[in-house]
Amino acid sequence: MRPDTIALSRGQRLALTAASFALIAVASMALGPLISGSGWWWMCAFIAAGTLFGGAGLRAIRTPASLVPVLELVILVLLLTLLFGGTTSFALIVPTTGTFTEFGELLGGAERTIQQQSVPAIPVPALTFALALGVGVLAVCIDILVQTVRMPALAAAPALVPILIPGFIIEAGAEAPTLVLAAAAYLLLLRVDVRVRRRARIMAGDEGDDAATVISPARVPIASTLGATLGLAGAGLVVAAVLAASTPSISTSLLLGTGNPSTIFGRGVSPFIDLGRDLRRPDPSPAFHYFSPDGERPYFTLLTLDRFEGATWGVTDTAIDGDNTVDAMPRPEGLSSEVRADEHPIDVTIDEVRTTWLPVPYPTTRVDGLRGSWFWEDGSLAVRGIDADTAGQRYQANWLEVDPTPAQLRAADRRVSDEFTRFLALPDDLPQVISDTAAQVTGTAATPYDAAVAIQAFLRSPDFEYSTEAPVEDGYDGGGFDVIAQFLESRAGYCVHFASTMAVLAREVGIPARISVGYTQGSPSQERVGGLQRIEVDSHDLHAWPELYFEGVGWVPFEPTPGRGLVPDYSRPGAGEGAGPPIPQSGSAAPSASGRAAADPGGGITGTGGGLALADSWWLRGGVIALLAAAVLLAPAALRAGQRASRLRRIARGERPADAAWSELTATARDLGVDVGIADTPRAVASRIADREGFAADEAGAALIVLRDAVERERYGPALRTGVPDADLIGALETARAALADDERAVDRIRAVLIPRSLVDRAQAAFSERLSPGT
Amino acid sequence: MSEAIAAMGGSGTAVAPGATLSIDDVGSRAAAIVQNVETVIAGKREAITSALTVVLAEGHLLIEDVPGVGKTMLAKALARSVDATVSRIQFTPDLLPSDVTGVSVFDQASRKFEFKRGPVFANLVIGDEINRASPKTQSALLECMEERQVTADGTTYRLDAPFTVVATQNPVEMEGTYPLPEAQRDRFMARISMGYPSSADELAMLATRETSSPIDDLTAVVGLDELRAMISAVQHVFTSQPVKEYAVELARTTRDDRQLRLGASPRATLQLIRAAKAHAAMHGRDFVLPDDVDALAVPVLAHRLVPTSRALGSHDRDSGPLIDAIVRRIVGETPVPVGSARRN
Repeated sequence: MRPDTIALSRGQRLALTAASFALIAVASMALGPLISGSGWWWMCAFIAAGTLFGGAGLRAIRTPASLVPVLELVILVLLLTLLFGGTTSFALIVPTTGTFTEFGELLGGAERTIQQQSVPAIPVPALTFALALGVGVLAVCIDILVQTVRMPALAAAPALVPILIPGFIIEAGAEAPTLVLAAAAYLLLLRVDVRVRRRARIMAGDEGDDAATVISPARVPIASTLGATLGLAGAGLVVAAVLAASTPSISTSLLLGTGNPSTIFGRGVSPFIDLGRDLRRPDPSPAFHYFSPDGERPYFTLLTLDRFEGATWGVTDTAIDGDNTVDAMPRPEGLSSEVRADEHPIDVTIDEVRTTWLPVPYPTTRVDGLRGSWFWEDGSLAVRGIDADTAGQRYQANWLEVDPTPAQLRAADRRVSDEFTRFLALPDDLPQVISDTAAQVTGTAATPYDAAVAIQAFLRSPDFEYSTEAPVEDGYDGGGFDVIAQFLESRAGYCVHFASTMAVLAREVGIPARISVGYTQGSPSQERVGGLQRIEVDSHDLHAWPELYFEGVGWVPFEPTPGRGLVPDYSRPGAGEGAGPPIPQSGSAAPSASGRAAADPGGGITGTGGGLALADSWWLRGGVIALLAAAVLLAPAALRAGQRASRLRRIARGERPADAAWSELTATARDLGVDVGIADTPRAVASRIADREGFAADEAGAALIVLRDAVERERYGPALRTGVPDADLIGALETARAALADDERAVDRIRAVLIPRSLVDRAQAAFSERLSPGT
Repeated sequence: MSEAIAAMGGSGTAVAPGATLSIDDVGSRAAAIVQNVETVIAGKREAITSALTVVLAEGHLLIEDVPGVGKTMLAKALARSVDATVSRIQFTPDLLPSDVTGVSVFDQASRKFEFKRGPVFANLVIGDEINRASPKTQSALLECMEERQVTADGTTYRLDAPFTVVATQNPVEMEGTYPLPEAQRDRFMARISMGYPSSADELAMLATRETSSPIDDLTAVVGLDELRAMISAVQHVFTSQPVKEYAVELARTTRDDRQLRLGASPRATLQLIRAAKAHAAMHGRDFVLPDDVDALAVPVLAHRLVPTSRALGSHDRDSGPLIDAIVRRIVGETPVPVGSARRN
């Protein structure tokens, strides 16, 4: 009677299931530091419970063992449909094709939100879905290991996946109490398993061979040990890859080796995509601070969007020119010497924003003090790092305060030179409402400048409401056509909408336009150092604004967003008459009564917390290395499992079965630390094994003799066959292996699985064989 | 001077001439012989088994040890346990070859030369203190051992099967000995040494032998035909290709070993396999295991090997004979054959 083939009672199976559930539930708690709130955990726990206890129910009604994991996956899909399927499901839990489309979108959304969000991430539905899916798959893996292949010690591997992830992402890693709890849950599982085995063995004495519902480990490992281990490693890697990216620090695209690391928002998509929906963050985090004399508070540009393709705004991808070093930046395009431009120094210290685009005012003439290689881009003068990011940088910049007069702007040539025609490009299928609005707003304008002023005035009129909540429908967070058309209807939105609408309207009336993304001027603090005021810029200061090109003056910023930033003097209606008193460029000039800009979900462009946290190579490398390390760690166990499966197949096929059984037994013994050398005969090995306590029992001793005699007869005997039925060989092998393992402590058994010495011996033997010329 | 001890007559046999024995019968009979001998020599099962192995493999045995540990006793006990003809030759420096092989004597009555068979004409020949004889006499015996025949005055006389010589010798450093040359040592299938008995065994011996020698009470447990059947069964023991390769590999390794000046001869390999077959049969197995080869490697190989003087110089005598240690090391290092899918 082999202990492993004893049927477990329902109660015993249920105890194992409960212990498995405790393990995965506690292990998934380790993700806590990465995700805010606890709702996601309840969701994951629900999914895990449904899957595991559903599996237990299936076993209770004697479902074939090999089917249970498959059906558990089905249960997982049903539960996910119930929770996330929404209206696409049939009878709440039956998925339709629409449901799977929805799931696909949720996964895509999860990937995006993982790229955009920082720690702790807001558990948007997409993210929760990914977590629930991952935890559900891990629960099935654990169930396979605990119940199907009856190797509960291996359940540590899937449980480690959620525990390891925080370590890849945040320095502190998983919290200590969680680790202790997880370890306790694991020990509980092992304990329950030992009790169950012991009880089952005692029961077996009474029940004899009447083990009807046996999941015979003699057969199951053939199909599932290798599969389980590899599948486990695979699932672990996938889940880890998805979850490890739940920070802006690691971009999945980079993890997978695609994408363009120099593009700010990853994958070269418009930064407008998916902003407000995910991320309306309550608490800003400091992005950077700078020192400047009173009044000199510029906008800081990160990058400039110049390409409008109807659906999105994007950056024209240009190769970095190695000559464009930031110690000498050119005079901005189109700026004539007649326009007043005062140069100001500024001293910037980065706090938490992390990006490869440097926040600098436009136009900047030089930047000093940067670590790494930074280059400016033609035209936009945006500054980009190729081997460094902003983390921990402190730098000095000289920027030009360009202050054109309305007269100078009005004098600009209406004709646009060829090199700027691309800033006029609009798709052909422009919605009617846009051209109508453009015509209506600028109807009376005599010059491009007047038209621009009119557009800004139109957008700043009381008809338009600044709102981060107004954009409710999907896709409204973009800057594309449909959004602009909708915005013109609903007249509510935030900087993204105002900026893109103004840019599109300007292009429509023939003024070259682009959108700058960056920060507004920030808010002054009380701290003053050497006559300079310290000004704080945080994630709520993220902003987008249009810049229009006027011949002779260059790119001129406008501020169409009500309640945000500063409205330049030259862009105020009536400024052209020159009568208006100069409005000081100070915080008090901002329309916001609080003296600081209202929170703008433009902050959501790139996530908050770390601000524009980008794919960061350090984290990325760490994550990849950790994943590789995990894979390498599990590789010996997988190889060994594969070897075992192949030997069991050999026994089943009758291809030198005794040799296979004996090899497997000696390998197991070797794994557990029994001294087995290549010069040892089966008899010598058998006598060594027989000395172990586990073989004092007649059954184990007899199994050992059966195996030994079979292999001796097969290897050295005159007949072709061992004379022992293959099934008996498998039975004897399992009995002997169980007896071997029985003598060892749990920790040694785990070590035997993770670091199989038999493989090391094999490698050594192969190595020395190659070295010695004689053999 | 030669001294031929009377050949002992055989008692009744359970096996008809030419009959075959099952392998299990071989095992049980061998066990009976060993047990029988053990009543005389306590605590020396290994030596007894090796000796019987050699008999069953139709080889010749060399027992080498200091005087008084029971070498002759073992040989005699073995001979008595098997109901075979036995003769004993006490080798002395003045022993002539004809004292061993026999001599042609002129028969006055028939007026012919008649060949008087020497003590070598027996199933079991005990050659006591063989290294006390002159090399010439030694050679005469050794030639008989190899060819299993005696040629005298142009006539060849075949020796009866089975024919086994059990020679004893004192270690070479003893006074008045002619050590056997390597070439002649090679003719012995195995060499064993008795070793001193344990204190308990020695005490027990004092008790049993105070008045008489128990060997006188020893009776045969196996008849001659039975012994022949056993030998025949041994010849039919199967030796697989992997085991043959293993034996060859062991021999080859002794030839390349840095500590050895002279390695094992091909004859040694052959005899190793023969002895292994007997060993397997004695354990009731009809095929040879590497374990059989391992068990016999020291008795069969050690006396044929010659260590280098450097190895001798650096050897620690307390750890047993150097050559045994070398053979054990080689056995411990040679990979055991696991065979392959291809059968031979």
